[in-house]
Amino acid sequence: MPVPILKQGEVLIASIQAALSDRDLAALRDELADRVGRFRIRGVVVDVTALDVLDSFASRTIRSIAYITKLRGADTVVVGIQPDVAFAMVQLGLTLDGVVTALDLEEGLEALRLIRRDALGTG
Amino acid sequence: MGDGTQMTAPRSLMNDMGLSNQNIERRQKIVGLDAADLARIKAMQDLVARDADDFVKVFFNYLAGLDEARPLTSNRALTDQVQRLKREHLIAMVKGEYGPTYVEQRVALGAVYSKVGIEPRIFLAAFHQLLRAMGTAIMKQFERAPMDGFETFMSIKKVAFMDIGIIVDVLIYERERVIRQQQEAIRELSTPVLQIRDRLLLLPIIGVIDTHRARLITDNLLRAIRANRAKVVVMDVTGVSTIDSKVANHLLQTVTAARLMGALVIVTGLSSDVAQSLVALGIELTKLNTVGDLQGGVEEAERILGYRVKQLVEPAASSLA
Repeated sequence: MPVPILKQGEVLIASIQAALSDRDLAALRDELADRVGRFRIRGVVVDVTALDVLDSFASRTIRSIAYITKLRGADTVVVGIQPDVAFAMVQLGLTLDGVVTALDLEEGLEALRLIRRDALGTG
Repeated sequence: MGDGTQMTAPRSLMNDMGLSNQNIERRQKIVGLDAADLARIKAMQDLVARDADDFVKVFFNYLAGLDEARPLTSNRALTDQVQRLKREHLIAMVKGEYGPTYVEQRVALGAVYSKVGIEPRIFLAAFHQLLRAMGTAIMKQFERAPMDGFETFMSIKKVAFMDIGIIVDVLIYERERVIRQQQEAIRELSTPVLQIRDRLLLLPIIGVIDTHRARLITDNLLRAIRANRAKVVVMDVTGVSTIDSKVANHLLQTVTAARLMGALVIVTGLSSDVAQSLVALGIELTKLNTVGDLQGGVEEAERILGYRVKQLVEPAASSLA
């Protein structure tokens, strides 16, 4: 099942609704990489609230989404990792290093706003 | 916390003790019960049915002679109940069926012993007397073939030792119940997660951290982060006297898991001893945000959240007791 990607101003919101196959994840990565450039996006929110498992491939893909969008000029925030999922990920050593995380969509958008503000302030 | 001596229904006690069907089968294997034993045992049904009352009497007369068994022998109603259970036990012992129902009866009897405080050594002594009486009766019956008599008795003894195993396990399990309840209470008390400002949680950790408790702390914290929508957590380890590499690893896991949920953890209260031993152990702690003491940690958290605490010019009158 492909992941719906919503555009809200300068932000893209990818809301994962069900467990994804590896191919769906790769498609999501490619799609986001493409749209970030096409729509001059500054921030991406990947919402994983509905997932009760995040395996190593999913973690790696999400991390690469963050790195790729960064190179294309947009910051990525991962939101909605559930407590059990967070604990399982840590036990497996999947720590999403270098990726910004937030509690939920609202917090994620706020985090993007703060990142933008700091970037503009210092730049 | 329930009364430590409160009797549990045998069935649920069995479940708690892990006496599953497999476990029961395993116990039969451990004492070496086989088909030949069952045949020899079943041949004794008439004898046991005839003498069961005598055997029970031997058991209780012996208990009556021991001061340690006073709580049981001085209680008429209880004695009657146990005598009845014991008689059923002896009849069941030679039936050749040692499945869950049989074990449930043993557990029930063990629970009564535990309730009146019969120690394993007392029970063992009395049970030995009972076996002796039983052995004597069997040997009498096999007067012409003492080896057969001995074999039969040894077969029954296998069942007896399985019973002893169960009863002693019940006695130990019941005695450890209090310890388990206290441990549970300590665990619950010792991992509070407190909200001290909007979006700011305080996690004071006191005492020894083992794997189980570390898991519990992490679990509580992650749930609290979601419930309180926390952004910053101050984890205070002033009350943790020693931190080894294992504990440090647990703390790091907690911190990382909290970060995955979008919360920043600040660790405070690492004593100089702890700090030195962590560095000496070469534990990678660069991922930890640390502040010297709890006050500093809270202040840092407030700064991150955009609070500024300002002292009024004069203290409030309510401070004047």
